Amino acid sequence: MNEIATDKGKVPNDKLREMRCEFNPLSRCDGSVMYSQGSTVVIAAVLGPVEVKTQSLSIDGSYLECNYRPKAGLPQVKERIRESVIQDVLELAVLGESYPRSKMSVQIQELEDRGSIDACAVNAACLAMIIGGLPMKYSFAAVQCIINEDGEYILDPDQRETLHQRASFTFAFDSLEGDLLLVQTKGSFKIAQFNDIECLCRSASANIFQFYRDNIAKYHGRKSSPTSDVKEMETET
Amino acid sequence: MANSISNTTIVMPGERVTSIEDLAKSKRVILGPGLRRLDDTVVASKAGPLRHKDPNTFWVDNYQRRYVPARGDLVLGLVKAKAGDLYRVDIGSADTASISFLAFEAATKKNRPDLNPGDLIYARVLNASADIEPELVCVNSNGKRGKLGVLSDGFFFKCSLNLGRVLLRENCPALTALTRQLPYEIAVGVNGRIWLKARSMRETMALSNSILSLEQTNYSQIDRICGDLGEVLQE
Repeated sequence: MNEIATDKGKVPNDKLREMRCEFNPLSRCDGSVMYSQGSTVVIAAVLGPVEVKTQSLSIDGSYLECNYRPKAGLPQVKERIRESVIQDVLELAVLGESYPRSKMSVQIQELEDRGSIDACAVNAACLAMIIGGLPMKYSFAAVQCIINEDGEYILDPDQRETLHQRASFTFAFDSLEGDLLLVQTKGSFKIAQFNDIECLCRSASANIFQFYRDNIAKYHGRKSSPTSDVKEMETET
Repeated sequence: MANSISNTTIVMPGERVTSIEDLAKSKRVILGPGLRRLDDTVVASKAGPLRHKDPNTFWVDNYQRRYVPARGDLVLGLVKAKAGDLYRVDIGSADTASISFLAFEAATKKNRPDLNPGDLIYARVLNASADIEPELVCVNSNGKRGKLGVLSDGFFFKCSLNLGRVLLRENCPALTALTRQLPYEIAVGVNGRIWLKARSMRETMALSNSILSLEQTNYSQIDRICGDLGEVLQE
C-alpha cells in the first residue's frame, strides 16, 4: 500500500494502490471475485443468464440488475445511486443480445471502504462478469482521483486523503480505445484540472487492464502442466 | 501444424484476434464460443485461452459455470414437474427444458414412462436456441434409448462446464485412473452436472471428492490424489 503522509509538500501520488483479486470465493453463484485496491475490499458475484420476471422480460436482450450492499446497515439512497451508476456502465459493456428473455444479476458487497469505493466496485463488477463467462463487448476499468487542499492530484486516494479534498473524480474507461464510460465528479474544480485528471486516470486504467489480463492468465494457468490441454475436446459422443 | 497462435494466448473481451482474420482471408474459418465477427474483424467476447483445432476452428476456453443449451448436447436434468404431455426438466439453463412423454423408448399414448418430479434423467438436447425453450429427448433417432434415460440411486453433484468437458474427453486419464482404484458408474453432462454410483456411500463420496479436486489440480497430480483411494477405503 502506498504510504503518503498528509503533511504538505509531498509529491502527488500518481500510482494506484496495490490491487489483489481472488476468483470464485463463492460456490453458489456463476462467477464471483473478491477484489481489493489497497485496503478497500469488495466481493462481486454474477448470476446469469437466469429466469426473469415477466415485467422485466425483453425479447431483444437480457435485463441487467445490479445490487450493492454496504458493509453495515441497510442500503440507503446513496447505495441506490451506486447501483444505478454501475448498472449503466455494465449495460454498455455487456452483450445483452446474446441471451434474450433472461436476466443477468450482479451483486456487490462492500467489505471495507478505505477510499475510492466507487471505482473498486466497478472494477470488481467487471472482473466478476469476466470470470462468470458473460459475453462482453469490452472490459472496463474505473479510477478515482482527488484534488486535495494544496491543489495536488492524488490518484486512488486512501480514506485519510479523502478527508480534506477539494474535488473528487471517478472515471471509467473501456479497454478498446479508452473511451469514457462514466464520469462522476464532486466538489469545485477548473476544466483544465478536469482534463488533466482525465488523462492521468486514463493512463492509470492501463495498469488495471493489465492486472485483469494477468489474473485471468494466472487463473487459467493454475493447473499449469507442461502437457497442457492442446488436444481437442469432443462434446458430442 | 505451424500456427502463430500458441495454446496459451489469453484473450480479453473486446480484443481483436488478427491472426484469425489473416487466416480467414485465405480459407473458411469456424468461430466457436467466445469469438464473434464484427464486419471484417474477429473480436473475443469472453476472457480465456484461445484454443485451436486443426484445420480452422477457434474458440475461447473461458471458465464458466452457467450452462447455455445447444442442440445435440448430452445433459443431466432434474425433473421438476409434470405438465400435461410434458415434463419440465431443470438443466441449469435460464429456461426450464421440456421433454415430451413420448420421447422415451417404448412410450405410447397409453404407455407413459414412469417419471416423477425429483428423478434424474440423462437426455439429449433436441432443440435449443436463444429464443426458444430447450427441448430434450431420451431416445436417439432410431427410437432406441442407448445410454439415455432415468438414472436411479447414486449421487448427483455440480461442477464447472470446463471440468465436465475434460471428463467427457475420450479416454479421460482421470476417469481411467479412478477405474483402476474402484468400480463405479458415472454420467457426465455437458451442463456441468455429474451423477456417480459406486458400491457404497463412502466410496461414492471419495470418488466425487477426487473428481471435484480436478477443478484445482492437473493430470500429473491425479495419481497422487487418487492413488491410494482403494487402500484408504478398505480400512
